Amino acid sequence: MAARDIIHMNELDHTRFKSWGFSQDFCVTCGLCSSSCPATGIDGFDPRKLIRMLSLGLENEVVASRWPWICTLCAKCENVCPMEIDIADAVRRVRSLRDRDKVPGIIHKGLEAALETGNNLRLPKDDYVFILEDVAEEIAEEPGYEGFTVPIDKKGANILTTIHNKLVNTHTEDLKHWWRIFHAAKEDWTVPSENWEGTNWAYFTGDDEAMKIMTGRIVDHMHKLEVKTLMWPE
Amino acid sequence: MATRSGLEKHYPEVFEKFEFVTVFDLLIKYIKEGRIKLDKTRFKGPVTYHDPCNYGRKAQKMFGHGYFDEPRWILSQCVENWIDLYPSKMNQICCGGGGGTLVNSYNEERIYYGRRKMDQIKATGAGMLVVPCHSCHGQFNSIKKTYGREDLEVKYLWELVADCMIV
Repeated sequence: MAARDIIHMNELDHTRFKSWGFSQDFCVTCGLCSSSCPATGIDGFDPRKLIRMLSLGLENEVVASRWPWICTLCAKCENVCPMEIDIADAVRRVRSLRDRDKVPGIIHKGLEAALETGNNLRLPKDDYVFILEDVAEEIAEEPGYEGFTVPIDKKGANILTTIHNKLVNTHTEDLKHWWRIFHAAKEDWTVPSENWEGTNWAYFTGDDEAMKIMTGRIVDHMHKLEVKTLMWPE
Repeated sequence: MATRSGLEKHYPEVFEKFEFVTVFDLLIKYIKEGRIKLDKTRFKGPVTYHDPCNYGRKAQKMFGHGYFDEPRWILSQCVENWIDLYPSKMNQICCGGGGGTLVNSYNEERIYYGRRKMDQIKATGAGMLVVPCHSCHGQFNSIKKTYGREDLEVKYLWELVADCMIV
């Protein structure tokens, strides 16, 4: 935590986050959020303190702090908050104030890759299609799944699916569960060949504009492939 | 959940033209319509189940419906012997892998976060943990060794269904 031990009164600015609609100024400092939070105590974090920092307008401190990134946005805190403060959404909004090159780890980098290439891995289309077809061939060799193929870009399918990037990276075996179920249920389904990313890391980084782009791609698929139903990405 | 909130905010017109289905509702449909048949004897248990924040507590708040009963019904079609975590549903303890923490490099903090979760799982005596979330799945496999439960089998809900299918 980057906060200093002493903060001078003239640095406080109650109006700083006034426009945010998370009711943070209604905090009665009861501490129920902190008691319920599984991350309380990690690196000095607790949600009550973070909400007080917003209410007091300590922008530099809260944005530079590691706390918004230790929080998992799990919302246990707001489930017990008597003032119904949207604590998890407030934390996400704080994340959005970080310079993008200072977002920790690979969350922003993965998102940038997705915006540029259609998936977090920058996996080229040919490699992606090869992986899907390779896994499909393995399934087709199993008893009861003879003739199984993966219906990429199938127009007019009933169900559109997306792919979590780790399933075409290190966890290809986990592609098979749903595919087996679809086969057994005789489902008419499809998966896109481009912009197939099922995760939306913009949710984690607080980037609403990127979230709109990522979800807009799914809308495009629904229209172009003329599907009836979207299976929500997990 | 990110996709659903994004569509509701930016593309509300799609809800008039298309249908949407969760992994839970789709599995329930297949089972109830008899399109897949399940063998309940393959896994003896005890098995336990973790509610992901996004499908449970947060879906309840954002969309007015938390998916608590649906996965438990599916679980009951797959195994006889399963036991709930305590606390569960709206009071479920987060796995510690949500909100991007699996990929933000704060690994020490993330693993420490999972300590209470692992206590909760140990208390059930279950050898298998079923989850319907990629982040939770990744987190549990990442932390189980630290807490002496390398033997814990972490399974996706749809993986359990696929493994129980009679084909």
